[in-house]
Amino acid sequence: MSKELIRLRDLTMEFDGERILDGINLYINDHEFLTLLGPSGCGKTTTLRIIGGFLTPTSGTVTFDGQTINDVPPYKRQINTVFQRYALFPHLDVYDNIAFGLRVAKVPKDEVDSRVREMLEIVSLKGYENRRVDSLSGGQQQRVAIARALVNRPKVLLLDEPLGALDLRLRKDMQNELKRIQQAMGITFIYVTHDQEEALSMSDTVVVMDKGRIQQIGRPEDIYNEPKNAFVADFIGESNILDGVMLEDYRVRFFGRVFECVDKGFAPNEPVDVVIRPEDIDIVPKDQGHLVGTVTGVTFKGLNYDIIVEFKGFKWLIQTTDYHGIGTTIGIRLNPEDIHIMHKSEYSGMFGDYSSYSAEYDELTEDADGEEE
Amino acid sequence: MKKNKTGFLSIPYLIWMTAFTLIPLGVVAYYALTDPATGVFSLRNVRELSLYMPVLWRSIGYSLVSALLCLVLGYPAAYYIAHCGRTTQKFLYMLVMLPMCMSFLLRTLAWVGLLQDTGIINNILAAIGLPRLRMIRTPGAVVLGMVYNYLPYMILPLYATIVKIDGRLIEAAEDLGCNGVQVFARVVLPLSVPGILSGVTMVFVPAVSTFYISQKLGGTDTVLIGDVIERQFKQGSNPNLGAALSLLLMILVFVCTGIMNHFGGSSEEGSVMV
Repeated sequence: MSKELIRLRDLTMEFDGERILDGINLYINDHEFLTLLGPSGCGKTTTLRIIGGFLTPTSGTVTFDGQTINDVPPYKRQINTVFQRYALFPHLDVYDNIAFGLRVAKVPKDEVDSRVREMLEIVSLKGYENRRVDSLSGGQQQRVAIARALVNRPKVLLLDEPLGALDLRLRKDMQNELKRIQQAMGITFIYVTHDQEEALSMSDTVVVMDKGRIQQIGRPEDIYNEPKNAFVADFIGESNILDGVMLEDYRVRFFGRVFECVDKGFAPNEPVDVVIRPEDIDIVPKDQGHLVGTVTGVTFKGLNYDIIVEFKGFKWLIQTTDYHGIGTTIGIRLNPEDIHIMHKSEYSGMFGDYSSYSAEYDELTEDADGEEE
Repeated sequence: MKKNKTGFLSIPYLIWMTAFTLIPLGVVAYYALTDPATGVFSLRNVRELSLYMPVLWRSIGYSLVSALLCLVLGYPAAYYIAHCGRTTQKFLYMLVMLPMCMSFLLRTLAWVGLLQDTGIINNILAAIGLPRLRMIRTPGAVVLGMVYNYLPYMILPLYATIVKIDGRLIEAAEDLGCNGVQVFARVVLPLSVPGILSGVTMVFVPAVSTFYISQKLGGTDTVLIGDVIERQFKQGSNPNLGAALSLLLMILVFVCTGIMNHFGGSSEEGSVMV
């Protein structure tokens, strides 16, 4: 359907001998909304800055429309960027910020005016032409930054955590708006974020990165439903990850019990990681369950309860809309499609155990404190 | 509105200011507007000011030329320093400050030794068979003295402004199609305006009222307003006229800084009110 626009081949990047990117291979199609997702320090921003031309890779090539552009400076690329925290020009008003690129390109005055006004309309900032940029709210500055980039009609728009500084409500609105603008203008978006929900809800393609390497590339549904390794399973949503053995196609053993599953293509008796999403687990009376466990923790989350259930010393996270008090014994059933099998990886054993669940709540509390500051 | 409770902290300075600036200013104004012989109110001194207008214009001219030369020399230096690594920055910053640690009088006298007719430069020229040049007692020597003495006051505010320019703004400009020259013209230069204004002010204001530089490096045709004022007081000619000239100079400095701040936008960071 759509053709390939950008390709990264064997990209590596080193700073002071430290390897930031390690063999990135990726292609990006025209009109695609592609998200680079990962924790901080995973190399996603570095990848974006290489595409933008602000960094030259240590090795590997970047091609744009079939041309190698490693050494093409940013101002000669048909790519524009929405920077982290916007980087608006403080000495110019809203109108002049948006008109900046057109004036550099010596576009005739009338056309500058009509295109700037068109963009103001698209980003809902009509009437703000002569406002100083530092008098705008975060969301408005964000819109100016988007308009300033899009007015140049780039082939590709790079967005570096553009919503990171906004509050939750505004972030949701802007997510919808960005998606709408991307579809309306038919431009390729390359989006960097550490927010998995943002990545899943906006993207055509998600690229999960960690430690300078691509962990998985796929559609949001595939990334969520068929994570490739424990890192992806844990980073995208919540996951219970267990040790198992794949007996044969469609049959896996864990917790001393054999379950039917939908995966195949593993070696006989291959040790595997088994992923079970907390929302997929059905709670049943204990005499009907595949497994029986005891509730050790309950947290009300609004939409559901997060309960921690102990099975033979291993704690699972289960999401349920029914209340089960601490100390209750419950049974669970697992349908074949609820069980996802992954090959063992360097991440095996690092994620997916909720025995220390309270620690995660401490982190959440810290985040909340951070927002109040 | 919450009442500011730190007001009492300014009391010592207010007393100082009143005793040693405001009251003396009143005395200056009193002298300027009274007759030297009778001590009654008179506009005689003010009327006499017109005689000194050519000297005043010369002072302004020399100071403006010096400020512009300082800007031309200082901007690239400040830009360079601001883009060095941290340790290099500190070292170069210290280097810029270094001449300020030496006595102003000594620095100016050193130039006399260099420039005078039998000075070091002319002796070297003579030794290699070239004719001696007349350098001292020229307008050029006075401007040179001003530039030499006041250059650090240009570089420091420029450096402080340029170093604060966010690197991402430069990336944003490159991203929007600017090559190196355009980045400078469209982003870096406009954002350095506060530093330029405060640098120009900090060179212009001391230069316009100086008398030592013009006395040592200048001749009879380079007398500046500062020299005239000094003469009125020190050689006892007419302190009342000296007071009137001082008042005029002060008003002039206020007007100049006012104009510059107006063009710079008073809310900009880095501007220094003098």
